[in-house]
Amino acid sequence: MINVLKNIYDYRELMMALAWKSIIVRYKQSYLGIAWAVIKPIIMTMIFMLVRSFVGIETGDTPYPVLTFAALMPWIFFQETTSDGVASVVNNSTLIRKIYFPRVILPITAAMTKLMDLGINFLILAAMMTFYQIVPSIHILWVPLIVVYIMLIALCINMAGSAVYVYYRDVGAALPALLSLLMYATPVIYPLTLVEKTLLVNKAAGGWSDFFFNLYTMNPLVGVIDAFQKAILQGKSPDFSIVWPGALVILVLLPISYKIFKKAENYFADVI
Amino acid sequence: MAIIEVNNLTKEYQLGHMKNLKQTVLNGVNRLCGKPVEKHSPFKALDNVSFSIEEGEVVGIIGTNGAGKSTMLKHLARISTPTSGKVSVRGSVAPLIEVGAGLNPELSGRENIFLNGAIMGIPKRVLREKFDEIVAFAELEEFIDTPIKRYSSGMAVRLGFSIATSVNPEILIVDEVLSVGDLAFQRKCFDRMEDLIKLQGKTVLIVSHNIRQVERICSRAILLDHGTILMDGEPAKVCNLFYDRSNEKILKGSLESRKTQGSVETSGEIDVEEVLIFRGESSQPTDEVGMHEPMRIGIRFTSHVDVPCPEIVVGFHTTDFVYIASTSSAVLPDRPDIKKGEGYYECKLDDLQLMPGIYCVRLAFIDQYRRMMWYGENQKIFKVGTNTINLSKMPVAGFVDFKFKWSF
Repeated sequence: MINVLKNIYDYRELMMALAWKSIIVRYKQSYLGIAWAVIKPIIMTMIFMLVRSFVGIETGDTPYPVLTFAALMPWIFFQETTSDGVASVVNNSTLIRKIYFPRVILPITAAMTKLMDLGINFLILAAMMTFYQIVPSIHILWVPLIVVYIMLIALCINMAGSAVYVYYRDVGAALPALLSLLMYATPVIYPLTLVEKTLLVNKAAGGWSDFFFNLYTMNPLVGVIDAFQKAILQGKSPDFSIVWPGALVILVLLPISYKIFKKAENYFADVI
Repeated sequence: MAIIEVNNLTKEYQLGHMKNLKQTVLNGVNRLCGKPVEKHSPFKALDNVSFSIEEGEVVGIIGTNGAGKSTMLKHLARISTPTSGKVSVRGSVAPLIEVGAGLNPELSGRENIFLNGAIMGIPKRVLREKFDEIVAFAELEEFIDTPIKRYSSGMAVRLGFSIATSVNPEILIVDEVLSVGDLAFQRKCFDRMEDLIKLQGKTVLIVSHNIRQVERICSRAILLDHGTILMDGEPAKVCNLFYDRSNEKILKGSLESRKTQGSVETSGEIDVEEVLIFRGESSQPTDEVGMHEPMRIGIRFTSHVDVPCPEIVVGFHTTDFVYIASTSSAVLPDRPDIKKGEGYYECKLDDLQLMPGIYCVRLAFIDQYRRMMWYGENQKIFKVGTNTINLSKMPVAGFVDFKFKWSF
């Protein structure tokens, strides 16, 4: 662990350069440029609003558009970070084959490049909150910590995923499908309160209800999105009873993911 | 202490393609049924190679395609991991495995200098200091804010070389880079390399197919063949061994497939059937002639038309197409006409002044209006043997052995 942090520090300039490169390259020769970072969550918010008008999802007292946007922001940040991160090694195959640098830099850098998009989306969120007259409280200070937590979750997938992707290109085909599945297992389109009500209050699954709820919260993104909405919109601190199962999973998987990457990286140049 | 040490380095690659699901299932079924399973044997790119390089040495690694040269460099640059054995490198390495590898086409020259520099581990501070120097060396002042994708390939390579050599590493690894860019820039690269080598005493490793270049700038050469070291030592000796081996191979190949590799331009009026070499007055064709011996070149051809007063040119060239000598029958005012049908001409040489080695014959038929009727290179490959002269007493460089006269 200390080794990893030292590596990150030693190669901070390279990471900055690579992150800056991927930001620049993405918007070169594009007319709308950085605006694309905002367009995607706004469109998705509108679609979700449309869907909700047919289906009717209970959302409590927070207005649905701002609630969904506050769920989509961390979700899209996570989704784009992982799809970039898993492809990061394969996309840089020319570098891998020609130049030595610690390979783990690539998935780590990919975990940071989307921070800029996230930052821009905060401006939109602020505008929406002003419109709905939601005043943030001191608990908004949790947000940086939550963002770091999302990056760790993404990193967990990035390291193992990018390493396996080098050997099996199936990963590239499977990832988008898995991510969209994961979205439905995460309170993005629906609020967490709905799940809590179904499982914990109405006991929809009978005696198994508590078990299913714990299983559900083992998805670390459940805790993330709930904490994000609570900290910003509802002025509450994160509900740790929802966060801990997912955090435990990440705590176990992160070193395993790193080990997988380290073991695979020796042969990147031969296989890629 | 050696700056680079390679001990028993072996690298194996798995041949063949990745198994897909079908093959995996089939193999599984076969294994269950006790049938033999299809297996690929590993390919040894490097086989138990050991050597060490001291600081300040300039080492050329030569060998035929697939000898393991680039695999070796990849291990020294820490890009590949050995299957077994150990590689230890003390000091910073600048790998020029392929110049411009890290250049991003979307970014401008300026942005690429900082990105590529960062990838090679050059601190930003140093890059800022050296920025003007890098741009000036690459001769790209006007284009530095243009995206690389709009550059010509020569411009991109110049930028790559310029960045890579500004890094000031302890060890420089060069793979075939000096063969890029125009002649003037090649000269410049060469000068910079010499500066790094001679003035700054850098350790340099060069992989090149340009053997003459290796011979000139290296202090030591390693000849690789099929993943093993064939010879390690003085560049002149190692390069000569390499030449001998590739010449043998060319000669052998030409005997197996006569006349297949010659490039021929013809107007269709004349066909050359064969070109023969004779030793002295012998009537038996041969492939080998001794140095300073008399020899004859015989040309058997078929003409489909009458050609009045033709000119015939015969010449020698090396296997890498350096033209050495040629002679033309045009100097003879009363040369005979070619009659329609088969013909046979001979060209005699009293003293073959070629140095030992492998040479080829080229041949041309030209009509009286100087129109090319038939031209071919590589028409006959022959070997000049050492004859009775002791090779070790011969000068090593050059193709021609003139008869000089000394006076003291």
